[in-house]
Amino acid sequence: MAAVVFSNVRKEFGSFTAVHGLDLNIEEGEFVSLLGPSGCGKTTTLRMLAGLEFPNSGEIRIGDRIVNDLAPGQRDIAMVFQSYALYPHMSVAQNIAYPLKKRGVPAAEREKSVAATASLLQLTELLDRKPRQLSGGQQQRVALGRALVRDPKVFLLDEPLSNLDAKLRGYMRVELVELHRRLGRTMVYVTHDQLEAMTMSDRIAVMDGGKLQQFAPPTDVYAEPANRFVASFIGTPAMTMIDGELTEDAGAWTFNAEGLSMTVGPLSGQAKSGPACLGVRPENVSVGEGPIGAVVQVVEKTGHENIVFMQLPGGHRLTARAPAMQSWQPGEQVKVVLDASHVHIFGSGPRGDRWNRPAQSAAPSSAKATPQIIASKNTKADPKAEKAAS
Amino acid sequence: MAFVKKLAFNLFAWGIVLAVAFPLFWMLVTSVKPAFELFRRPPTMLPETWTFEHYLHLIERTNFLTYFRNSVILSTTTTFVVVAIGTLGAYSLVRFRFRGRESLAFMVLFTYLLPSVVLIIPLYLLLVQIGLANNIFSLVIAYTTFALPYALWLLRSFMAGIPEDLESAALVDGASRMGAFVDVILPQLLPGIISTALFTFILSWNEYLYALVLVNSDDARPLTTGVMNMLVSSFNIEWSLLMAASVMMSVPLIIIFAFLQSYLTRGFGAGGVKG
Repeated sequence: MAAVVFSNVRKEFGSFTAVHGLDLNIEEGEFVSLLGPSGCGKTTTLRMLAGLEFPNSGEIRIGDRIVNDLAPGQRDIAMVFQSYALYPHMSVAQNIAYPLKKRGVPAAEREKSVAATASLLQLTELLDRKPRQLSGGQQQRVALGRALVRDPKVFLLDEPLSNLDAKLRGYMRVELVELHRRLGRTMVYVTHDQLEAMTMSDRIAVMDGGKLQQFAPPTDVYAEPANRFVASFIGTPAMTMIDGELTEDAGAWTFNAEGLSMTVGPLSGQAKSGPACLGVRPENVSVGEGPIGAVVQVVEKTGHENIVFMQLPGGHRLTARAPAMQSWQPGEQVKVVLDASHVHIFGSGPRGDRWNRPAQSAAPSSAKATPQIIASKNTKADPKAEKAAS
Repeated sequence: MAFVKKLAFNLFAWGIVLAVAFPLFWMLVTSVKPAFELFRRPPTMLPETWTFEHYLHLIERTNFLTYFRNSVILSTTTTFVVVAIGTLGAYSLVRFRFRGRESLAFMVLFTYLLPSVVLIIPLYLLLVQIGLANNIFSLVIAYTTFALPYALWLLRSFMAGIPEDLESAALVDGASRMGAFVDVILPQLLPGIISTALFTFILSWNEYLYALVLVNSDDARPLTTGVMNMLVSSFNIEWSLLMAASVMMSVPLIIIFAFLQSYLTRGFGAGGVKG
């Protein structure tokens, strides 16, 4: 078990900089997701940690060792690849035993470990098969088995679930969390799927353009996104972003856009008058009564709730969540209110900082983040919507 | 109409098969006929008297076995050298990023732009200078230069088809780079290696021109020039012996081919699509 530390790590491929001076402190036993769109540098970061790429500058530590110059095999890590990378000419048993064999574990001991790992992952009956005779889910479990068998300090997982179908993915998510709980090992998980990151991680490192955007527990990333990129990347349906002007009058801040004007705050010292962006999550928008007029465009019915897509007079779009029993027709005029306590103000630009004053000094706990907390946020917003509807 | 078409196609196909197979058949038949039966008219399709005296003669009273041994050594060595260099070279061309990688891969093909007759004199002088004249290994070097470019391209396309993740996984699992190469890359590359080996072996087994120029002592001659030199002179051709020698020269190739032909076609296919 070991902590993982990136200090000012930089990686260039020719003239392209994949990772710009990354600082990341992953604690011992933590489950951390590297989340971001493709090309954001998350896989490069993981490969540098694995020793498959070498940083141009900076320092990477696993435990108390600087591993910059160590070969992958000397780092005491295990990795699960997106393609599983099972050795096609070896049986399942040989695949799982390979890391032990390469470390000179005697054959008898090897057999015992393989058997134990296989029974843990329900692979016992498949041990004599070749990888091509297995289903996707089974291959995935073999890849996990090959990583688990050696009990390494750090597990690296590179989008391990992305090749599975939706149902199996949901199942494996739970399995992986359970595995992490049981082993207590440090796990670094690369994904572009926010749902995976939100549900599994202790902390999420959101990356974009080779830079770390935010490193925080899932609830914080959701509730207090560091900047506009994080805010729009996390959450489905995405946060509504409205560009407008911010003005200050004796410490009171007002946000103005066409068709929308509201007092916001409290804001941090960083805030300044001028172009800004207002962000609001769909669950913090109530349709029914309110000061803002909007036209319904589309209502998506998911069964347990309705997602309402609207347009403001100025042409800005706005998304709201509403209970399943409320519905509107496209073209209908509605009144809308935004929950002022959950409105985010960002500086202008695609990665404009969030200017809201931190609600409370949210202590970054390593407590297991659970989707319930997000759900409770939803319910907080819901009563208003219901009140508005009645 | 459809029937006629099918019949015509069949006749055509069998015609081609016969045209290719007949000389081989005639070679076989001639080699087991006694010499007096060779020029009889009308010719006998199957020998009236069967004899293996020509084979015995070749083996017991000529240098045939020496030539055969030379050819085996020559072709096997060339094949090993080409496969060894080709595999490692293809690996580096596919896996390592270095300046001029692509141009290097193309430059290798320049060997084929020059007719081999042009290269023969410089190569001969070069080999004389390094003291390899009249030595079987001068031919190994010469054949390696022909076979290697093609081998590199063939193996390169095979190598490119092996996912890089496999090698990365082996590295993470604790293998050294060479260990990963041997444990994971080589088994995946086997079809490519077999087709390359076959190609090289056949090329060096059949080559005539360079063998004629570079080697002229009986101890070092391979089959091709050895047999010609021994049995074909300006005044006489020993047809029976020549045919018996030809049969014995073809046998190793036919055996190898029969076992490995599926790999060979697969290899050429892969090279054609990706190379």
